Amino acid sequence: MLPSILLFAFFVWAPLFENIRLSLYDAQGIRTIKFVGFENYIRVFSHPSFWPAFRNTFYYIFWSLLLGFWIPIIIASLITETLYFKGLFRVGVYFPNILPGLASVMLWGFFFRPGKTGVLNILLDKIGIEPFTWLTTPGWTIPLIVLTLTWKAAGSTALIYMAAISNINQDLYEAATIDGASPFKRFLHIMLPSILSLGKTLLILQIIAVFQILYEPLVMTNGGPNNASISIMQLVYKYAFQDYNYPMAAALSVLICIVLVALTLLYFKVTKNVDDAN
Amino acid sequence: MFYNRYRKKTEGVIRFFDLSSPITKIVTVLIFVACIIMLLISIFPAIWVFLASFKDIAEFRKSATILPSDFDFSKYTKTWNELKFTRYYINSFISVTGSVVCAIIFNGLLAYVLGVLKPKGHKIVFTLVMWSLLIPPTTSIVALYVNINKIGLNQSFLPLWLAMGANAFWVVLFKQYFESLPKEYIEAARLDGCNDFQIFLKIIMPLSKPIIAVVTIFAVTAAWSDFLLPFLVLAGTDKETVMVRLFEFRTASKSTDVDVLRAIAFSIIPPTIVFALFQKQITKGIGAGGIKG
Repeated sequence: MLPSILLFAFFVWAPLFENIRLSLYDAQGIRTIKFVGFENYIRVFSHPSFWPAFRNTFYYIFWSLLLGFWIPIIIASLITETLYFKGLFRVGVYFPNILPGLASVMLWGFFFRPGKTGVLNILLDKIGIEPFTWLTTPGWTIPLIVLTLTWKAAGSTALIYMAAISNINQDLYEAATIDGASPFKRFLHIMLPSILSLGKTLLILQIIAVFQILYEPLVMTNGGPNNASISIMQLVYKYAFQDYNYPMAAALSVLICIVLVALTLLYFKVTKNVDDAN
Repeated sequence: MFYNRYRKKTEGVIRFFDLSSPITKIVTVLIFVACIIMLLISIFPAIWVFLASFKDIAEFRKSATILPSDFDFSKYTKTWNELKFTRYYINSFISVTGSVVCAIIFNGLLAYVLGVLKPKGHKIVFTLVMWSLLIPPTTSIVALYVNINKIGLNQSFLPLWLAMGANAFWVVLFKQYFESLPKEYIEAARLDGCNDFQIFLKIIMPLSKPIIAVVTIFAVTAAWSDFLLPFLVLAGTDKETVMVRLFEFRTASKSTDVDVLRAIAFSIIPPTIVFALFQKQITKGIGAGGIKG
């Protein structure tokens, strides 16, 4: 027991406190020099990249609510309604999940490449559409990044939804049918509500995940064009491992942690309500 | 015929009797087509990597086709040797093996203590563990890196292995499973004079093969895909893993697109094999666990 707790202490709990301590000091490399109070926080707030990253976080959340939330629901409902190759479809949509995150991001980089050799442009060319600039168009960057994230993660969320769908009491469908409900109405009033009650908790987990977006903008766009896709976690990475300013990185990490703790409390509250309702 | 199987359908909203309506008939076919499209979107990128990496650089730059002009495996072996991928594979395997061992022993032990022995204060520890489940590890990466440097564990596999030993999600998986084991076995072993640790090794572990398999699969894919901590700890040493090498392509100017593509292909082959072998366990584990892995 003791060694495991020590591991948790070193890898999970100690860094949290170290973050807080580090964020209050001035440091050279990893050596802390003197206590400076909240100066690092002020520096973070006045950093030119902070507000773009802050604003982008909301864009990321918006798009992941739009795409990342609904696509798994659509996948789950569609696969539930087929009878042929169902196992293959389930395994297939889950497949992107096992690809290493970094590899899949680099892979999509080739797909979104502007010009004639980008894979999506090759495909567009086949149906006679002009090449598109994809990630280098500022307004498209974040939606496309969220789309690749969704491509990777949707399968596993869809499997969770499918498990929930198969737990629905079959009598409900029969009762609805006897009352004359069409298949679409049955979907709207029986299947969708049961998905959404589970979706509420997954939604908050998803927002928490949005705060961790790092490799996608780092590898695909390096935060560009002109900070249009820089994520808040990427800014931490930039402070720490490009500017070697660990205290500023720690200060920003602490801020992210505070937001996430707040979201976590919200998560507990929502799940508790769901449990109570059940 | 296509519709015959709908006689036996018991899940979802569409039933056999709905098929009397022609619209529903069309919709079911459309749903099937939509599923095929989803399947293609899911697996096409990975297939494309393999196809495109058979092209050479001139062909890759000029031609705007999906299929390569020929399938020549010697190009693959050439890139493999030039980039010295054997070494990165070996490093990754060392990292993955150590991670799996740590993941099972340390998380399993903690779950055993929290779920079976339940000493004083186990509730506090469990609450702390649960909290770390919801606080993403990436936010503490900076402080963790500073700490690792302070105690001189950088440039070694050790922090990567040990980091896998502190995963709250796996602790919860183990704990749930251990709690479902019959208590009689443990009591009997204790009467036979086993101490707590022997019970863990000789009774609990052999009974827990299914959950060990699930955690092993998760740990293999997690350790193989992990790149930020390995990059920070191992970059510039001769212990770089496949993912670290892949990340370095971002800054390296010498490498060509085709080399990058082949490196991506190398990096996705092992997890694909693991997935192909264990897909049933993986998809079941996701559905049953109810939490993303």
